[in-house]
Amino acid sequence: MRSWLPGANPLALVAAGLLAIPASLAVRDVRTGLVALGAYALVGALLLPSARRALGRVLVVVVGSVSIVYSTWLLGGRDIGTAVAAGLRVCLLAAPGAVLAAYVDPVRLGDQLGQRLHLPARPVTAFTAALQRFEHLGAVWAQLDRARRSRGLGPSRSPVARGRHAASLAFGLLVSAMRGASTQAIAMDARGFATAQHRTWAEPAPWTRRDTAVLLLGAALAAVPVVLHLAG
Amino acid sequence: MTVAPARPRPDLGTLLRYRTIDLVTVATLSVAFGVVFWGWNQLYAVITAGLTFGFPPAAAVLGGPWLLAGVVGGLVVRRPGAALATELLAAVVSGLLGNQWGLSVVVSGAVQGIGAEIVLAVLLWRRFGVTVAAWSGAVAGLAGGLYEANLYYSDWDAGWKLAYMGFFALSGAVVAGIGGWVLVRALARTGALDSFGAGREHHAARAV
Repeated sequence: MRSWLPGANPLALVAAGLLAIPASLAVRDVRTGLVALGAYALVGALLLPSARRALGRVLVVVVGSVSIVYSTWLLGGRDIGTAVAAGLRVCLLAAPGAVLAAYVDPVRLGDQLGQRLHLPARPVTAFTAALQRFEHLGAVWAQLDRARRSRGLGPSRSPVARGRHAASLAFGLLVSAMRGASTQAIAMDARGFATAQHRTWAEPAPWTRRDTAVLLLGAALAAVPVVLHLAG
Repeated sequence: MTVAPARPRPDLGTLLRYRTIDLVTVATLSVAFGVVFWGWNQLYAVITAGLTFGFPPAAAVLGGPWLLAGVVGGLVVRRPGAALATELLAAVVSGLLGNQWGLSVVVSGAVQGIGAEIVLAVLLWRRFGVTVAAWSGAVAGLAGGLYEANLYYSDWDAGWKLAYMGFFALSGAVVAGIGGWVLVRALARTGALDSFGAGREHHAARAV
């Protein structure tokens, strides 16, 4: 049961997260915000496998919205109700997507974007391929770091030196990534990537009843603040 | 010593047919900048806490780094949509890594990317100097500021919203625009951009 939501189609997860954005626009008072967030929290508590992981991501959102409450109070007429509603609105805007994004597998998402949404295949494939080099980038970073240190170019303890060290590593990483992109593009073209007439995909991109259910659940949750707002 | 005459820019139809290396470069830049955005998100959370409690609209000064991807993508690939795609995909990557704005970063990325793209589009993707880069960053910041002022800070008084947008545009022009241009020039120097206009121009100007 606990893998029901995380294993769902990444398209359904992304859609459920994105639906929270228009939903958040309906939050104009504290009550609407609390009820809507409560509905999301209840469903989350029932369906999410790891409470700690989800709470970690929600906490980041809540901390961010504290500054919104304060600034709205200061610059928006010093009304505490309006300010708290603004904070709740941003929580609703961000939290569902922040939690659900953790369960999106980029490769499966690429398969769905290409085969189900029929987005142009070349950009989708190029982006998915670039995402798969992600771990490789981590290895390059470690390599550059070791190389600089072994040449005596490592940073001292001061934060400024550490910042400069990180900046030069980031630049080296970018150069390496761009060179990797050239190599990868040549390899892809050598396999007929640019001129293919008929494209096949390695993995299927199924849409199941569970995915429909996740999508409907996301829509129902997003409707909560809208209904409350209209009922006024 | 003669410098080869600049090749005429191809027409729009040709520009729209992305080569594989253009696609892979947009994707690679967006993954790299997505990680940078994610890192900046962590720092931003700490730094804004101070700025917000001092003078809230000034927090927009920290917005510039999020606009880098669009400007750099546009300056390197030089094709219609490259700036928008790089900014959008970088936002997607940073959103998948987890942040304080959830999947709404996808919308932020689209809005900021459109801002950066507009300036390049007005010039028909023909000019990529430092002034163009600064304008591209500024308009990206203006678009991002407009979006944030209406989504995050919709209850602020109008004057403060304008101040927020102004700070965002300024940060975009300096950090993303001029900073992005400097970054592209530095990349061109290493030879990493030899398949692109930016790299070719760099070497042509220094031909022996």
